[in-house]
Amino acid sequence: MISASDLRLTFGKGTPLENPALRGMSLTVNQGEFVTVIGSNGAGKSTFLNALAGEVIVDTGQIIVDNQDVTRLPTHKRAARVARVFQDPLAGTCENLSIEENLALAIKRGQRRGLTAAVKKQYLSQFRESLSSLKLGLENRLGDKMGLLSGGQRQAVSLLMASLTPSSILLLDEHTAALDPKTAAFVLELTEKIIEEQKLTALMVTHSMKQALEVGTRTVMLHQGQVVFDIAGKEREGLEVKDLLGLFEKQRGLEVDDDSLLLG
Amino acid sequence: MLSEIAFYGALETGLIYGLVAFGIYISFRVLDFPDLTVDGSFPLGAAVAAMLIIDGWNPWIATGAAVLAGMAAGAVTALLNVKLNILNLLASILTMIALYSVNLRIMGRPNVALLSEETVLTPWYDLDLAFHQVPVLLFVIVVFVSLILLWRFMKSETGLAMRATGANARMARAQGIATGAMIVLGVALSNGLVGLAGALFAQSQGAADVTMGVGVIVIGLASLIGGEALVTPSTVVRALIACVVGAIIYRLAIAFALNADVLGLQAQDLNLITAVLVTLAIVLPGVRNSVIGKLTRKKA
Repeated sequence: MISASDLRLTFGKGTPLENPALRGMSLTVNQGEFVTVIGSNGAGKSTFLNALAGEVIVDTGQIIVDNQDVTRLPTHKRAARVARVFQDPLAGTCENLSIEENLALAIKRGQRRGLTAAVKKQYLSQFRESLSSLKLGLENRLGDKMGLLSGGQRQAVSLLMASLTPSSILLLDEHTAALDPKTAAFVLELTEKIIEEQKLTALMVTHSMKQALEVGTRTVMLHQGQVVFDIAGKEREGLEVKDLLGLFEKQRGLEVDDDSLLLG
Repeated sequence: MLSEIAFYGALETGLIYGLVAFGIYISFRVLDFPDLTVDGSFPLGAAVAAMLIIDGWNPWIATGAAVLAGMAAGAVTALLNVKLNILNLLASILTMIALYSVNLRIMGRPNVALLSEETVLTPWYDLDLAFHQVPVLLFVIVVFVSLILLWRFMKSETGLAMRATGANARMARAQGIATGAMIVLGVALSNGLVGLAGALFAQSQGAADVTMGVGVIVIGLASLIGGEALVTPSTVVRALIACVVGAIIYRLAIAFALNADVLGLQAQDLNLITAVLVTLAIVLPGVRNSVIGKLTRKKA
């Protein structure tokens, strides 16, 4: 279980560019939940994910992961509990390293690393098995450099890497946004499959309201650094994009003027 | 033509600069950390080894101490960057300048002679080899052992974490790698190798001098880039072999240039030749790639 309470974070404090990104963000995600997060540009989606991952440290508030207070911990000290897939397909893997080396990095996520060989024989069958589940033929290309793969293939491998070792939460930061529609659909399908098979707890930021409702078990909308609504279960079933927009307008008492929310 | 002694001399220095190139490979290539500390850690290694040898220490232990001193210097540079957020290049220049004073302090004077002392080379002169072949034999062994150890390290869990740190720091952090610690370890390792090179250089040349580090970074880079142009560094072991090949070819090229009377070059032209060779080494692979690029584009 992860719980964020009253997170506040202001960028560029005391400068003309002062920007309050998080203004009292609170969210509790229970074990096994798959939460989709939507919100317009500047709503604080990415900042919230970065705060959970440790890439930014909040000014005030508290982040608890599995009963441990991680609020002040840097990224690498949270990595054992927090897995992550980035928006940029190039960001989640090392292009100069081979596929097996990338997987070997991920299999030790958050653990001590010693002086024994990184790519161990006993890993290889596991790597091949996981890669063959992608049906991309990558199981026969373990020694190939990551840079030789396409964006979609790299994102699929990033997902695999994030799920090689158990985590308390999987953070997906618009991880299909940079892909073409067909590849995006493939990666999204793969995401759902992995999350369901491994019973992962996940938080997925998306730009598409449609996707936010179709995927996952719960939807949260952010606006101006706060959660404006949070729906799950029966209330969420059968909900359509226009209902969501209506809900949003009712909550905030204002018109949605961001086209990007309506698209997709 | 090159005399036999000049040829072996070039090999001997080339092998020592192979160690420097290993160090520069770790900082510049693996960690993407432009580190100029080497201009200070090379004479530091020489000074530490020379003073301990004069003090009566076993020359191998003195050489080991030089490695540790080099590592400490590298760690200082890395900590200035990681903990105090000083730009990596500037951090290394600060350490380099500081080391000039440190080296003078260690030696107590600008240079120290080792001619009558027992060095790591002394026992090897009992072998049935010509005088100028002995250092080459010993240094081949040292470089070979260093190459194997470095290769194994780069393939280890920690080594892989270091490579990921240089290639994609954000991804490395997300995998739980303490990237700051990796930079400290890597830059320390790099300068440890350079300290070793300095210690061996002082013992084979019979002296340590406070100015012997000037331009080490350029020669090391020339070796690295030249080697990469000759041996495509597609794997770690190829990249390491490229370092040694580049360093030896570089020294041989210098020796040839100075020996060829037709060119009319003299010893004082060394730095000019170095600069020209480095420029060529940087430009030539680009020319080659663009030629290959044109050829493949025609095919496609």
